[in-house]
Amino acid sequence: MTGPEAIFDRALMRQRRERIAPIFDAHDFLFREIAVRLAERAGDVRQNFPLALDAGCRTGLFTQVAKEMIPEKIGTYILSESTPSFARTAHQRTGAPTVIADDETLPFAPARFDLVASCGVLQGLNDVPGALLQMRQALRPDGLFLGALLGGETLFELRQALLAAEAEIEGGASPRVAPFAELSDAAGLLQRAGFSLPVADLDPIDVSYENAFKLMHELRGMGETNARLDRRRTPTRRATLLRAAEIYSARFADAGGRIHASFDVFFLTGWAPADSQPKPLRPGSAQTRLADALDTTERPLDEKTGAAFPLRQPKPETS
Amino acid sequence: MTSPAATTVDPQLLEILVCPLTKGPLVYDADAQELISKQAGLAYPIRDGIPIMLAEEARELDADSA
Repeated sequence: MTGPEAIFDRALMRQRRERIAPIFDAHDFLFREIAVRLAERAGDVRQNFPLALDAGCRTGLFTQVAKEMIPEKIGTYILSESTPSFARTAHQRTGAPTVIADDETLPFAPARFDLVASCGVLQGLNDVPGALLQMRQALRPDGLFLGALLGGETLFELRQALLAAEAEIEGGASPRVAPFAELSDAAGLLQRAGFSLPVADLDPIDVSYENAFKLMHELRGMGETNARLDRRRTPTRRATLLRAAEIYSARFADAGGRIHASFDVFFLTGWAPADSQPKPLRPGSAQTRLADALDTTERPLDEKTGAAFPLRQPKPETS
Repeated sequence: MTSPAATTVDPQLLEILVCPLTKGPLVYDADAQELISKQAGLAYPIRDGIPIMLAEEARELDADSA
C-alpha cells in the first residue's frame, strides 16, 4: 500500500496512548469539550440517525456526551478505536458494540451508517484523504459526516517558545509541534473524498495553564506529545525546557500570570451524495435573465478579459 | 467483572464488519472467537466481545484450512 508520505510515527502514538490510558480521564478536558461541540452540531441537524459510528472514539467521549445531550437524535452507536485500552474503556462505559481498528483502515461494509463522527482524530493521521474516503463509503446515501480536528494555529505559542529556546540554548531547532492543516485544506479534503455540500469552519478554544510545564504535562496525559517521524531522538536538555517556559510566560501570559494555549478546532461537515440533495443547475439552463431580476440593463462582456466592465489598462511607462 | 454481554459479540456489529485489508466478507467462528477473512488468509481475534481488526494481531490461516 502506498499512501502519502508519512509524517507521524503511528506505532509510537498508539504506544503512548496505551501507556497514558489509565490517567487519560484526568486530561480529557480538550477532547471532551470538542465532543460537546460536535454533539451540538449533530443536534442542529434536522434528521435523526438510526445508526452512528464513533470513529476513533478514545474512551467513548463523543458517544457518552451525545447520549446525554441528544438522546433522541441517535439510535445505535458503534465505536471503533485503535488503542486497545481506550477501546475496552469505551466499551465498558457506553455498553455499545466496539471494535479495535486502525483509523486509516476501517473494517466496515459500505453504505451502512447514517452518521459517522470523527472527534479529534484526523490531525494525527498520515493518510487523511484515505480515512475520509473510507468514512464516506461507510455512510448510506445522504448520511452525514461530522468531524472535528485540531488545525491552523494550534499550539503556536508552544511551537514558538520551544523553537526560540532550543535555538538559544542548543544552537539549533528541531521539529517539535505537529504540522497542522489549514481550514481551506480541510474543506478541499472533504470535496476530494466525494462529500456533497462540504463545510469546514473554525471554532477556537483558548485554554490557560499555570505555566508551560503544566501545559506539557497535560499534552502528555492526553497522549498527544510529539510523534513526528522527523522528531529529535535525543532527550531535550533541562535548560532548554526551562528557557522555553520562560519565553512562553514572557510572550503569552495574561495579567494574572497564567499562560494561554490556542487550540484551533476545525469542524467538518459533509454528506454522502444522494439524488435528493440540492445540486447546481447546468450552466446555460437559466429560465430568467439576471438583468431582469436586478432590474438593470445587460452589458456585453469584454471579449478579451470576460469582464463586464473594461478593465483598467496598465499605464505605459513614461520616463 | 465481565458481564454476559461483554463476552458475546453484538450481532449488528458482525453484520457490518468486513476485512479491513480486502473489505471482503468475514466468517464468524463462535467457538474459536475469531473472524475469518478467507481472501486475506487471516483470522481476527475477538477478546472480551471486542473484535480486533488489526492485521498485525490476526492469525495467519494455513493453506488447507483457508
